[in-house]
Amino acid sequence: MVTSFTPRSLDEAIRLRQKPELTPYTGGTDLMVNPNEDASYLFLHRVPEMKRIVEDGEYIRFGAACTYTEVIKHPLTPNILKEACLKIAAPAIRNAGSIGGNIANGSPKADSALIFMVADAKLRLCSAGGERLVPIKDFYLGRKKLDLRPDELLVEVLMPRHGLDNYYHVKVGARNALAISRVSFAGIMDIEDGKIRRCATAFGAVSDVIIRLDQIDQMLDGKTISEAKELKSAYLSAMDEAIVPIRGRVGIEYRKDVCMNLLRDFLEVNGI
Amino acid sequence: MTQEIRFNLNGSDTVYTGNPADRLLDVLRNELRLTGTKCGCKEGECGACSVIIDGKLINSCLVAMGSLEGAKVLTIEGCTKTPQFAALDKAYESVSAVQCGFCIPGMIMASQCLLANNPHPSEAEIREGISGNLCRCTGYNAIVKAVGTAAEEGNGLW
Ligand SMILES: Cc1cc2nc3c(=O)[nH]c(=O)nc-3n(C[C@H](O)[C@H](O)[C@H](O)COP(=O)(O)OP(=O)(O)OC[C@H]3O[C@@H](n4cnc5c(N)ncnc54)[C@H](O)[C@@H]3O)c2cc1C
Ligand code: FES
Ligand code: FES
Repeated sequence: MVTSFTPRSLDEAIRLRQKPELTPYTGGTDLMVNPNEDASYLFLHRVPEMKRIVEDGEYIRFGAACTYTEVIKHPLTPNILKEACLKIAAPAIRNAGSIGGNIANGSPKADSALIFMVADAKLRLCSAGGERLVPIKDFYLGRKKLDLRPDELLVEVLMPRHGLDNYYHVKVGARNALAISRVSFAGIMDIEDGKIRRCATAFGAVSDVIIRLDQIDQMLDGKTISEAKELKSAYLSAMDEAIVPIRGRVGIEYRKDVCMNLLRDFLEVNGI
Repeated sequence: MTQEIRFNLNGSDTVYTGNPADRLLDVLRNELRLTGTKCGCKEGECGACSVIIDGKLINSCLVAMGSLEGAKVLTIEGCTKTPQFAALDKAYESVSAVQCGFCIPGMIMASQCLLANNPHPSEAEIREGISGNLCRCTGYNAIVKAVGTAAEEGNGLW
């Protein structure tokens, strides 16, 4: 028997999530491209706790069911996220597609997930047994493999409130439902009083998961711009070695070159 | 395999009894015989299937019926009864914005949504508003002009 549910509260949604046969469904823009007539859906777009955008001392908390249009329109949304969401598809897709669906779909091409990665956002995952906060980087275990138990829902995305203003974002090539390959890149260089407080980069559509090499980026943390210049070639060669594109419709070498060119440009616009 | 889904369609309360995983587009065209909504790709790429759900432009090919519980759905058939449609219809005609017509129901829905949110759009905003709607015939310029004309002539409607 195919039965779907439309919970009206988070408690109800979490309780229903204990039924393993239900597939979470938010905007349907990934699920309905290849629809499964036998699926039983847990519709999440009417759960108020998942439609909110609020802030606390440390984070801006985005409900996982917020659509791109809702995220773009909200005054709390940082520009880096707003700009990336505006580059997604067309209005009708942005009116339905959600950030939670983008993250949970597990695609390395996911455009809002790229921004949450470079921002080191955390994911609030809830089940009947309790909840946990997982750094988004640890959520992606491998190709389409997520650290998400079958009884858990992604409820909120917690994005740090500060340090996201000096960003760089480029999306190369068109995106459509047929997953045409391209490369996307996001970088953040948080500089205060001539010192790099935090350098962060993320590469989309290159590997099985979005690439976030935080240990290499940390080479530049705490450095002045001139110190960073001295470290530049070591930093770039460490990145060059660590970025390994997987096979795709667009050649491996081309995608690798694009990654390195974008990374160099990101350093240059920051005077490095 | 069936469930009852209650929603409002073009102003009338409706109960759909069927599989909640069915696509809205298929139900509109094949069961309700509302064939003004077109099917061009079933992948969210062409916009021919555009409808307005709770005031928002949506591709009906990517909507599962079950998600409509409690929603308000407007299709081109419902839209044609509004004064806003009359203004759009006149404007599209006045600049000959229609060739084969396949994309037009979706274009009208996109135009209506755009103007409802932004009654005086710039040319760039019009192009962005219809950017999810493909037209193989017109090259878009006439359609963009039609939306601009509707905004001027239908001043106050949106
Ligand atoms: C024409 C077209 C263009 C597109 N362009 C882009 C683009 O430019 N960039 C881009 O990144 N994407 C793009 N997409 C893909 C898609 O729109 C996005 O990934 C979107 O964010 C998915 O969100 P959704 O709410 O529609 O997901 P759904 O289809 O509802 O769900 C996607 C997956 O996530 C799971 N899921 C959803 N919510 C939760 C939750 N809260 N907890 C646990 N699991 C959950 C579902 O079970 C499913 O597996 C495009 C799609 C189409 C059709
Ligand atoms: S049929 Fe829905 S977008 Fe093409
Ligand atoms: S008029 Fe023919 S597709 Fe637009």
